[in-house]
Amino acid sequence: MWLGAVALGGFLAVGLIAFVYVLLRLREEQQRVREKEAEHQGMLDRLQENENRLRAIIESEPECVKLQAADGTVLEINPAGLALVGAERPEDIIGRKIFTVVAPEYRDYYRENMRRVFEGESVVYEFKSITLKGRTAWMESHAVPLRDARGNIYALLGITRDITEHKWAEEQARRHQTELARVARLSTMGEMATGIAHELNQPLSAIANFARGCLRRLRGGEVACADLVVPLEEICQQAERAGEVMRHVRDFVRKRETRMTAVDINRVVRSAVKLTELESRQQYAHVSLHLAPEQPRVWADSIMIEQVICNLLRNSVEAMAEARSPHREVKVKTSRRDDETVEIEVSDTGPGIDGALIDQVFDQFFTTKPDGVGMGLSISRSIVESHGGHLRAESRAGCGTTFRFTLRAIGRTLATNERRYSLHH
Amino acid sequence: MSDATVFIIDDDQAVARSLRWLIETVQLKVETFTSAQDFLDHYDADKPGCLVLDVRMPGMSGLELQERLTARRSYHPPIIFITGHGDVQMAVRAVQAGAFDFVEKPFNDQDLLDRIQKAITHDAGQRGKEEQRSQLKALFASLTPREREVLDHVVEGMSNKGIANALGLSAKTVEVHRAKVMEKLHARSLSDLVKMAMQNQAA
Repeated sequence: MWLGAVALGGFLAVGLIAFVYVLLRLREEQQRVREKEAEHQGMLDRLQENENRLRAIIESEPECVKLQAADGTVLEINPAGLALVGAERPEDIIGRKIFTVVAPEYRDYYRENMRRVFEGESVVYEFKSITLKGRTAWMESHAVPLRDARGNIYALLGITRDITEHKWAEEQARRHQTELARVARLSTMGEMATGIAHELNQPLSAIANFARGCLRRLRGGEVACADLVVPLEEICQQAERAGEVMRHVRDFVRKRETRMTAVDINRVVRSAVKLTELESRQQYAHVSLHLAPEQPRVWADSIMIEQVICNLLRNSVEAMAEARSPHREVKVKTSRRDDETVEIEVSDTGPGIDGALIDQVFDQFFTTKPDGVGMGLSISRSIVESHGGHLRAESRAGCGTTFRFTLRAIGRTLATNERRYSLHH
Repeated sequence: MSDATVFIIDDDQAVARSLRWLIETVQLKVETFTSAQDFLDHYDADKPGCLVLDVRMPGMSGLELQERLTARRSYHPPIIFITGHGDVQMAVRAVQAGAFDFVEKPFNDQDLLDRIQKAITHDAGQRGKEEQRSQLKALFASLTPREREVLDHVVEGMSNKGIANALGLSAKTVEVHRAKVMEKLHARSLSDLVKMAMQNQAA
């Protein structure tokens, strides 16, 4: 009996110990879970904190920050962005395509830039926007790709700002320039009128002579029809020549925006020489051309550059006439300076410019002519500079004056391309 | 007159060709030159005719060409200037400097052709006189120095006797020289002789 009681007691004790042990393990386990949870919560908190901080930065960012999907859907946008696109509430733009606020003529360009970002490039682009409120604005965007943990690009992060005012100022400056150039062209119109009259008189005289020659022969009755073909062809040609003169005049006078095209500079030089031919002849000045063959084309507005060359030619001719120079020659030279640059040079055998004055010749209203306005060289320099070139004067008193300007060449020669190629490989 | 040539000098080839086409309707020969220098280099002074010249030309102008031709002091054909718009002053200067005439562009064809005819007639007349002058020169050149001396005194109105005294010759010898002079110069009378001597002096 006693032995039985001892056995029971032992059993109970073991059971108790085991129970306590299990209990203790359980509590340990619970504690561990609780700790894990706390740790997890901490991480979540920290993540939340980070996100809040980022969000606060983005929300308070004065420039538009937005996320876009590859198809142009706006995923997120900050308050500055909402204001920029003219949205009252986030849902006005979030979930919609960004193209709703891009001017139609810029949509393709915008798409092209987006495509580049989703291919991994960082890009900067300007575009015209029509906001949800209908305002037209110029925007500049810096866009970079956003990647997930595996490195896949899932969104475009764009920072955009309104550059309308800046653009407007730029536009104003350019308009002003265009206007100045037009005024300058118009002021030379008077001088040109005589030139145009002469240019038209030549073909008209020829037409009259050919036509009268035909009539006289027809009235005399001793002419075969076939003999009249050549003079009649001449008449047609001369009528076209007169038309060409008129086209030139129209081009010259028309108020126009800058039109940059690939230009053969030698052609522009010849055209300018032709335009000023009469003035040169009147002042007994000989104009000689030294044009480099096989010039690369330059990126320019041909009418404006023609205007610059006309200006330089007129200045030279007038200076030589004014000084009664015995030998009056103007040389117009084109040459290749290097891969990127073509140089145009107009030099004369005139009196030259005093060293003290050479720096002033480009100033507005500076003139040495009795009835000059002093705009020609100032405008010429602006035109050349708007083409990314430089116009410079060089002179020695008594030894003539040389004006040089440069223009950017487009397209390099094959030889240069090859050299560049071999440098990289 | 049918062998007269119109020399056209104009840097504008189309205008030059049209002038040729027009002028050939009146059966005149035409030669064209592209510049004043071209004309000076190739022109044959013995060909009768006239010049039709553009006042304004690159290089040597029409006026300069006229100056150059005048400076040669030999005969040159009459010049008709063609002037453009607003060049009348220049044309006036040209005429003052001896140009035959000028026409202003645009001109009437008949007007130009009439002026050309007049210039050619004038040229023919001038060439005729020129011919006479050179013939006269040739005749005078055939006289001996002594005959020349006698002639000079005859023209001054001296008698044979006076001349004989002045030159230390016999009256008979002076008589012989005088007859020889009359014969060489084809003079029929004393007044003929005097006239010829004066013409020769003027030339």
